[in-house]
Amino acid sequence: MAYLTVRNATKLFGESVYALRDVSISVESGEFFTLLGPSGCGKTTLLRSIAGFHDLTSGDISVNGSDLGRIPPHKRDIGMVFQDYAVFPHLSVFDNVAFGLKPRKVPAHEIKKRVPEALESVHLTALAKRLPAAMSGGQQQRIGLARAMVINPQLLLMDEPLSNLDAKLRIELREEIRDIQRKVGIATIYVTHDQEEALAISDRICVMSEGHVEQIGTPEEIYGDPQTRFVANFVGTINQLKRCPKLEEVLGMLGLSEVDASAKNASWSVRPEALVLSELAQPASGGAVAEFSGTVQKYTYLGREAHLFLNTAFGEIVVHVANPARARKHDQGETVSVRLNRQALFGFDADGARITTGKAPREGTI
Amino acid sequence: MRLPGFWTLVLVFAWTLLFILLFVPLGTVLIASFIDKVGEPTLNNYITFIESARLRRAFVNTLVVGFAGLGGALVLGTIMAFCLTRFQIAGSRFVSMLAILALVSPPFIGAYSWIVLFGAGGVFRTFLREFGINMPTIYGVSGIVIVFSLKFYPFVYLLVSGALSNVNRSLEEAAEGLGLTPWQRTMKITFPLVLPALSAGGLLALIQAIADFGTPRLLGRGFNVLATEAFTLYSAEVGSNPSMATTISVILVLLSMFFVLVQRFFLRRNVYHGNLINKPIKIRLKGWKNLAAHLAVYAIGLAGATPVIISIIFSLRRTSGPVFQSGFALQSYERIIFGLGDVVRNSLTFSASSVILIVIIGTLIGALVARKTTLNTSLLDGALMIPFVMPGIVIGIAYITVFNTGPLVLTGTALIIILSIFIRRLPYTVRTTSSALRQIAPSMEEAAISLGYSPFQAFAKITVPLIVPGIIAGAMLSFITAINELSSSLVLYVGSTMTIPVRIYLLILDGDLGTAAALSSILLILSGAAVYIAFRFLGRNEQALL
Ligand SMILES: Nc1ncnc2c1ncn2[C@@H]1O[C@H](COP(=O)(O)OP(=O)(O)OP(=O)(O)O)[C@@H](O)[C@H]1O
Ligand SMILES: [Mg+2]
Repeated sequence: MAYLTVRNATKLFGESVYALRDVSISVESGEFFTLLGPSGCGKTTLLRSIAGFHDLTSGDISVNGSDLGRIPPHKRDIGMVFQDYAVFPHLSVFDNVAFGLKPRKVPAHEIKKRVPEALESVHLTALAKRLPAAMSGGQQQRIGLARAMVINPQLLLMDEPLSNLDAKLRIELREEIRDIQRKVGIATIYVTHDQEEALAISDRICVMSEGHVEQIGTPEEIYGDPQTRFVANFVGTINQLKRCPKLEEVLGMLGLSEVDASAKNASWSVRPEALVLSELAQPASGGAVAEFSGTVQKYTYLGREAHLFLNTAFGEIVVHVANPARARKHDQGETVSVRLNRQALFGFDADGARITTGKAPREGTI
Repeated sequence: MRLPGFWTLVLVFAWTLLFILLFVPLGTVLIASFIDKVGEPTLNNYITFIESARLRRAFVNTLVVGFAGLGGALVLGTIMAFCLTRFQIAGSRFVSMLAILALVSPPFIGAYSWIVLFGAGGVFRTFLREFGINMPTIYGVSGIVIVFSLKFYPFVYLLVSGALSNVNRSLEEAAEGLGLTPWQRTMKITFPLVLPALSAGGLLALIQAIADFGTPRLLGRGFNVLATEAFTLYSAEVGSNPSMATTISVILVLLSMFFVLVQRFFLRRNVYHGNLINKPIKIRLKGWKNLAAHLAVYAIGLAGATPVIISIIFSLRRTSGPVFQSGFALQSYERIIFGLGDVVRNSLTFSASSVILIVIIGTLIGALVARKTTLNTSLLDGALMIPFVMPGIVIGIAYITVFNTGPLVLTGTALIIILSIFIRRLPYTVRTTSSALRQIAPSMEEAAISLGYSPFQAFAKITVPLIVPGIIAGAMLSFITAINELSSSLVLYVGSTMTIPVRIYLLILDGDLGTAAALSSILLILSGAAVYIAFRFLGRNEQALL
């Protein structure tokens, strides 16, 4: 049974602002669960409801099988890292972090041990004695992080805890968070709108939009098998293929014409890295393959990979070429031919839901 | 959210208090203004008001000195704020201290000092006459406007300089980057951002100017305003007309209320929350610009503090009876010690008692208003605006009307004076507490709660330490207002409950300027001490003085 379950949570602000609509999630114990979605989609609202700072309009939340509804927030033993840090300005960094240990009756000598450890893990040891008032956003954020983790709560909620850090520190700390979380085994709900961060750190990701859940799944499922057009667009980049005779032809080659015809107003898209330049393709391993051509608009070399912007019958399309060093540089105006297989194509119906194409999508590569 | 029992009690108590100390007195005044001398309902008072040339003139005069004083305060305050926040001024702390002196000095000593300098026998005028220059006296409208401008500019200065130093420099830099000239930048970016502060400061100045009684009374010489008319009609031995006085009171309240509403209406959308990542810097001016900026702030600062300086000097002058002699002596202080000790004691006990009441009750109501937002608390918050627009003279007249007979007779007691001060200052404390509480992000307490503290513990451990300095500072400011309060006490006092300001007022009327100066100096020292304590708790936060 899941450790935390949120069932049919709906939260209405005022008369008409639905911050959450019928959200159901479940988090296993020890799981690192990420809420991913654009600004305003209800991530904070969901976290705050779990922490007990919002009463749900309807729906219920339970931890370990017991309903949280009647437990006041301070008895829930849920650590929270706040989006606006909520660092206590009148307490030193050390006292901020030690704050949550006192009501837990942690003996003084242990406080003296645990707090420096926590500060160490967020790289704040040097600031322990200082007041946080004049500290940078990133420093305050890390105080909040240390303060929530040091209490070893039964559930840890983090609302964009790394949003204010520079790229390097962000990656360093997210690994740190992940390691600590694994070591202690706290079930954690992590909020972010950074898809790369979400993919890197999560056991499972819940993609939200406008207050509802779009898809819940492992990073691989979210990225490789998006169930809605929103997810495909929000996580990673996607090439939307314009409807044209060439598309019919490609669908025909891949045996998808019937699927296309049966779904009304289907639209098709493909990830840039699922497209392969024909010149680099290995001999087809079974499976249907289609080919189309395009003229190079721009070639961007990024070291690890190169982005090739093509003008094709489907409109402008990006192809990601892995290991560009092994390939040729492509000049503007050159014509290239591109291959894709059946699994690479994602079809979505008029409502944005994924069309099943009849075959497991991640099976086989070109 | 359900109100816990305790807060329900606070709510009930607050409404009861407002009912007894505000609605009943105000209602009585309102009703009295519609009743004639024999007790019949009538509109005659209002008709008389419109028909009487004298009262019409008082009405116009009130507006004239109000707006002229407002204009002066806006100009002086803005110049001062701009120069001190944007340019490097030598001795800027001294200058802003001068502004604070002007702010905490009782209004009527301004009038008094200008009389000493520029009155009929004024020092400065006499001096100029020796050179054959015949300067006009300070009496009349021009004198009142000068005193108002110099007395009220600190409101504008403090609020605007607060806003100016909170304008995120990035905004101005962005405007500069977009190619705006410094002038365009000031008008298009800076001005709109400080407009709320500017108008709030202006409103304070306007309302105080309309309500001021001491200045027009001492400097007016036949120039009447509504506040002086109300007082005269109420207290004159011959020709007194209390019901007419209540009519004028009602009109005064409506007038102030009107201006508050106008200001609120025009600024209803302009609330900016700056985040102070990039603080403004002060430019070092060069050449004549530097000189001009220094001259401007020092001239304004010194002129505003003149009353203070004058009263201290004159309190030390040798006197014979009420007449000043050459040389210095402590005679005036001796007279106070031997003859006026009870007046000083009265002032101290009345002020201290009202401040204690204000702090306890104001903080509770402030917390209630900030934390339990319901229709009821919003109404309470709104009702607390009323004392803000009630001139002291109106409170005085209202209290003496209500507490003279009936279930609660308080006339002639110390309590009536304490309560009158209490109700006038209560809204400020409620406001500062509730806004201080609102400034503490709710997530702060939530963080404590999520760490395992009960809501009450979270309040006590996080919120209280953050607002206590503000509460203490607020108490000191209430003390300053309380101890300097003249107009309501003037209506309410009897021989045994005379306070320092009342005594000063009477001494000036008697022409005993030496003793008046000494009493004023004592007031100043007490106010100064309170400012000092407030700054100790708040850091040097001048905006908090409002
Ligand atoms: N207290 C509130 N009153 C009214 N509306 C609210 C309140 N809190 C949130 N909302 C609205 O609910 C929606 C979801 O807000 P929420 O804060 O949960 O978004 P979020 O996903 O955390 O966004 P972000 O990534 O910007 O933090 C938004 O449209 C927001 O305006
Ligand atoms: Mg959020």
